[in-house]
Amino acid sequence: MAGRRRRRLDLTTPGLLGLPLAWLVAFFLVPIGIVGAYSIDVFSIFPGKHPVTLAGWHDFVHSAVYLKLFWKSVRMSLIVSALVVLLAYPLAYYLALSGTKRKYILLLILIAPFLTSYLLRVLAWKVILGSNGVVNSLLYWLGLRSHDNPVSQLLYSRFAVMLVLVYVWLPFVALPIFVSLESLDQRLLEAAADLYASRWQAFRRVTLPLSVPGIIAAFLFVFIPTVGEFVTPSLVGGTSGYMYGNQISDLFGTGFPDWRTGSVLALFLLGVVAALTGVFARFLGMRQTAAR
Amino acid sequence: MDAAMSKSGRRLLRGLFGLVVVFLYAPIAILLVFSFNNSELPSFPLSGFTLTWYRQFVHDPELIGSLETSAIVAALSSVGAVVLGTLASIPLARRRFTGKAAASALLLSPLVVPYVVLGISLLLLFHAVGVPRTIMTVVIGHIVISLPYTLLVLIPRLEQIDVALEEAAYDLGANRVQTFRLIILPLILPAVVSAFLISFTTSFDEYAIASFVAGTRATFPLYLYGALRFPNRLPEVIAVAVVVMTVSLIVVVGAELGRRVAERRLEALAS
Repeated sequence: MAGRRRRRLDLTTPGLLGLPLAWLVAFFLVPIGIVGAYSIDVFSIFPGKHPVTLAGWHDFVHSAVYLKLFWKSVRMSLIVSALVVLLAYPLAYYLALSGTKRKYILLLILIAPFLTSYLLRVLAWKVILGSNGVVNSLLYWLGLRSHDNPVSQLLYSRFAVMLVLVYVWLPFVALPIFVSLESLDQRLLEAAADLYASRWQAFRRVTLPLSVPGIIAAFLFVFIPTVGEFVTPSLVGGTSGYMYGNQISDLFGTGFPDWRTGSVLALFLLGVVAALTGVFARFLGMRQTAAR
Repeated sequence: MDAAMSKSGRRLLRGLFGLVVVFLYAPIAILLVFSFNNSELPSFPLSGFTLTWYRQFVHDPELIGSLETSAIVAALSSVGAVVLGTLASIPLARRRFTGKAAASALLLSPLVVPYVVLGISLLLLFHAVGVPRTIMTVVIGHIVISLPYTLLVLIPRLEQIDVALEEAAYDLGANRVQTFRLIILPLILPAVVSAFLISFTTSFDEYAIASFVAGTRATFPLYLYGALRFPNRLPEVIAVAVVVMTVSLIVVVGAELGRRVAERRLEALAS
């Protein structure tokens, strides 16, 4: 009986998986291969024959500009990810361990903004931070600042980019941390208390170590998209908030396209992200996160 | 004694939670207020109530057109993603086969690739094979990014379903298709619906990939991005923002609550 079932179902596995896998091969793996081909001039935007060359990679490795921009983006995303996790952790802790009956409703309230439009939430900050925006006009109105002297650092700055990124990602990050804290066996905390651990000791020696996978997953879920971010910086970043992703996007734009350099930059970013994912894959536990 | 937090600790955390909720919703509330403000500039002091901006966006053919385009793209890509996701989730949730880890890694990997990389790689693909950029190229890209989300919703749901139900169907002479249609599909239907909604909202909101592979027909996010460069369009954009955000909040929250209720009922029926 079991044997018959297994045999029959096994036959269909390739049939079921074939199309989804083919889709990702055709529209995900092959395109990345083509990026690779552009990065070494196997393909090129310029017509005619081209010798294969590593010049694009050579220039990238020896260019101070691109690598500096990359580190700037990494620094910005690290700060954003750390802030977001630090803010989200106590919230998730409260929801998972306070014993409140409304925890799923509260969680939904927290996450709901994430499910509305990304671009529109960035727009909201543009309206708030602009030199004639909500913050400045409120300051003029209240007489705290004169019209000729707006707080100009608000919009089009690195600060604006990081503020908006924190705003955008905060709701989402509470989720993986909540999941890891909720699956925590609360009897462990009781046991710690019975053994005369203070609450702080119980947190530091039991809860925190057990929630590390959730913290790492949360961190990566923010870091990976923000390090390649170009939409938020192009809307609120100005020149000082310009990130690595903007550089990639601009190299493929209509202004001065340079697909070879752009491909090198994109592959480098992909490599870094893939390495991070590989190292931390076991913490990502995507399925458990989604089960909520 | 509560081992997790003291009374004052609880109060502190509740206060922090309240502050964060204010931080998250204040910008949305500000958009709401200024969408009714009778001024070209979204700034204080408020200058009276108006519905002009709502009227203006309803009569803006370019904006309405972009909403239609996005609706078409989102509908096509979410149907595509849900079909592919349902096909893939059955073997991934239920069967053992060689290469399963690799298959699921590939299917989930678009989740961890920055969109700018996905966008430019699709641009180069379409360029290399000579496919003109249209809304169909956007649909293709959006299926790639939505597919993992559908798996994340469908696989855990399938794993909850008792294998004995399927075995019983086979014992009663049902074939694979009948078993899927009569047993599995009804049980995963709430998850299928929420996978569809997640894909739909993902696509409807997606700018980064669309910015590289869209043709001349702008999707809503592309229109929005363009409109942000013209200050005189800002009030109208704020009005449409309010409408889109309200609708998506209602749909998403409603869908999530609906899914929980439906799954609880199915659970009760199945046991």
